[in-house]
Amino acid sequence: MTQRDTVGLLFTAEMYGVQLDLLAAGLGIREPAARATVTRWRQQGYADWAQLGPGGRWVWLTQAGLAACGLRYRAGAPALPRLAHLRAVTAVRLALEAAPGYAAAGGYWRSERRLRARMGSRVPLREHLPDGEVHWPDGTGADWAGECWAIEAELTRKTVSRTAAIMTEILTRTGDYGCPAAEVRVPGRPPRHTRVLYLCSPAARPVVLRARTALGAAMAARIEVRGLPPGAAGENPARPGQRTLA
Amino acid sequence: MITRYLTFLAVRAALRALGRVISVAAGVTLLVLAFPVTLAGGYAVTLAWFLGWPPRQLYRAALYCLPMLAAWLAALAAAGDSWAQLAAAPWTAWLDMWHDLAAGRYGLAAVTIAPAAIPLGLLAGGLAWSWRIYSLETGSGGLSPGAPATFDRRQWRHQVRTARARISAPGAVPLLRRDGSVVAGATIRTVRHRPRPLTAIPYPRLRSHQVVIGTTGTGKTTLLLRLWAGFIRRGMHVYGTDAGPRPLLVVIDCKGGADSRRIAERARRVLREAGAAATAIWPDEARLSLWALPPAQLISTLSDMIEHGTGGAAYYADVLEEVVRLAVTAPCGPPASAADFLARLDPDWLRLAYAASPDAAPAALLATRQVADVALRFRTLLRRLGDGLDGPGGFGDADAWYCILEGTAEITVAEVQARALVDLLAWYAASPGGPRREVLLAVDEFSAVSRRLPIWQLYERARSLGLAVQVSAQSWQGLAADEDERYRVASTADGGIWLLRTPYPEPVTALAGTRRVVDTTRRLLGVPLWAHEGLSRAEGTPVVDAELIRGLAVGQAAYIYRGGVSYVQVKRLVAGPAQLASAAVPATVPATVAGRQDVPSQPGPPPLADVSPLLDEAFGPEPG
Repeated sequence: MTQRDTVGLLFTAEMYGVQLDLLAAGLGIREPAARATVTRWRQQGYADWAQLGPGGRWVWLTQAGLAACGLRYRAGAPALPRLAHLRAVTAVRLALEAAPGYAAAGGYWRSERRLRARMGSRVPLREHLPDGEVHWPDGTGADWAGECWAIEAELTRKTVSRTAAIMTEILTRTGDYGCPAAEVRVPGRPPRHTRVLYLCSPAARPVVLRARTALGAAMAARIEVRGLPPGAAGENPARPGQRTLA
Repeated sequence: MITRYLTFLAVRAALRALGRVISVAAGVTLLVLAFPVTLAGGYAVTLAWFLGWPPRQLYRAALYCLPMLAAWLAALAAAGDSWAQLAAAPWTAWLDMWHDLAAGRYGLAAVTIAPAAIPLGLLAGGLAWSWRIYSLETGSGGLSPGAPATFDRRQWRHQVRTARARISAPGAVPLLRRDGSVVAGATIRTVRHRPRPLTAIPYPRLRSHQVVIGTTGTGKTTLLLRLWAGFIRRGMHVYGTDAGPRPLLVVIDCKGGADSRRIAERARRVLREAGAAATAIWPDEARLSLWALPPAQLISTLSDMIEHGTGGAAYYADVLEEVVRLAVTAPCGPPASAADFLARLDPDWLRLAYAASPDAAPAALLATRQVADVALRFRTLLRRLGDGLDGPGGFGDADAWYCILEGTAEITVAEVQARALVDLLAWYAASPGGPRREVLLAVDEFSAVSRRLPIWQLYERARSLGLAVQVSAQSWQGLAADEDERYRVASTADGGIWLLRTPYPEPVTALAGTRRVVDTTRRLLGVPLWAHEGLSRAEGTPVVDAELIRGLAVGQAAYIYRGGVSYVQVKRLVAGPAQLASAAVPATVPATVAGRQDVPSQPGPPPLADVSPLLDEAFGPEPG
């Protein structure tokens, strides 16, 4: 088991499942090499793969693989309706982690799967979990050091009111995910997420922008809106000179 | 002869008694034979009595059981039963039930008869309950003459208990129904309104005029907050789907004091939950600019702000208006602030301003001492008004404005402020080319400050501008200054009247009208036979019971609309947390209003670091 294997397994576990091309991009290797790596994981019983949709095969960790990573998630193939969204979130994570400023500021990605696992069975029906959090440690010299960002990948259009409600929910939360209900929003405490970063498809972008406007200046200043990175919709995300997970 | 007559009487009495015994015995036998239906019906009637349900609820329950009946018949058909066997299925099920009971198979007996007995029992229960209510309403039922009144009081208690239980169940009373109606709370009882578990007001009615009357501590604020939150939530949804303009709620609280500020803070939290991006509290935290009014309107408003009498004082009023006109329409443009305006009320300033066009300024007027007198009056007035109307800011800066007027402590100032606020809102709503908003103007105890602007004028003005007005008061007398105005306001409330506990509800209950009831002296011989002796007369009885209104508990309201009434247990909205504190909050967040002025202060987060370089690296630069 190499360092690359460890990083790859953890990455795959945190993202529910990844497509082979994105795993290759994340590990900084070519797709045949990634395929060989996954074949080895399968032989060890750590992972499984299948052709779940268009594009490359999807890879996910088995219960043994999750146990080897020390993660108590429930094993299983990614759900079919979520494939496009999972791919988009993975592409966003790869694009963000590939930016030099990310490494310089010591950013740390906390996945939705981890947040959901922290909440256990206490996720209320209407509670919205972000697609990820990025934590920026103090003392790195970055202007945004000490902040926590919520990440939202928007592929499809929601209504403006629903989007605005989600934005408000994220930006007014004070407690960590999994905290007691009384601490979710406590007056006087600083908000958990300093800002929320929306990565939108062209279709979803107008709605997100409109919802941001509807929230007023104070909240809107905490919402960053960008387009989805290349690769989020299926094309190869690797860019020349891109940093990798390993 | 006498003996024969007495014998006849005795025989007749004996036959009657025998007939009664036979009919009772037949009834009891029927009830025993149909005991599953009797059981279900008895349970249904008991439940309806205990929960204060109308018979309609039992009919609906019977209707909901029809799929079970259909599934049972379908299962029999699938098992190979012919049409004749299917038609006789209830009968055979009834026979099978008795056989199973005789064999000690009680569970199987219940399962066999349930598909047929439950709907039938509910239907029979509904009919029986309906008859019971009818007989007591007509005074023909009950053991004692006072039974109908006792029955009504007891049913009211049961209905209230059910409504309270309903609103205390989490999630049972949403703010909006699926069709966008605003849910006020759980229905206690209805008269000439369709009985539904929840009382909901269609959104268009919130955009009409409404009146709310209730003394202190009866839940008036809770009701108003719910209606306001519903207006904002629904309005935001309509706006979000491009089906209408963005909503704007303007509340003018004419009481003032600490209580108003506490309500304002609660309103802010509730409205934020409902989707209002910003709630401005005037004049404590936000300002409006009187000087944003167009010159002609500004002259009129400023002139009306100064109190002047009639008769000989009319001359002075004309002089004052002329001086204001000169100051406002000076060639250099209208004043931008109170200080600017006061500086212009100076003969020398006016002479200089009009030096290029002396014909526009009457020299005789500028030479008089009256300019200085006018300046003195405005200086005093504007000092007392404070800086709440001195800008910057406008109604477009927030989704909700909570304006507090000190109608109790500073009545003169409050009257002027009320006049100015209404003028500003009217201008904002009517300004051509301005942002189109769906405006709801809610005024509480407006009569305290309505000396300069009678409330019916406000009503008429709002109606012409397309604004919805919601007038609330603690009593009928607080609704307007005189009886004529009160009736004008109440009778034009086409969005309905909300009546909470109040000691004098009669004028409003009279407006609700009467309903026709039949008063009869005919004797009830038995279901459904009435004797032909006696008279029946249709009479009008009030739709709204004034005694009931006087006895309403906290949180209970009567919603009167189109000659009917719904008694509601209002569901309190739980406000979200107070404004999140954040370090180094700047006093104001600058923005622009129609490109000309800064927005009033709204606490905002500390300035954030620019993360564009990182995001550009990761996701590429933003287009445009």
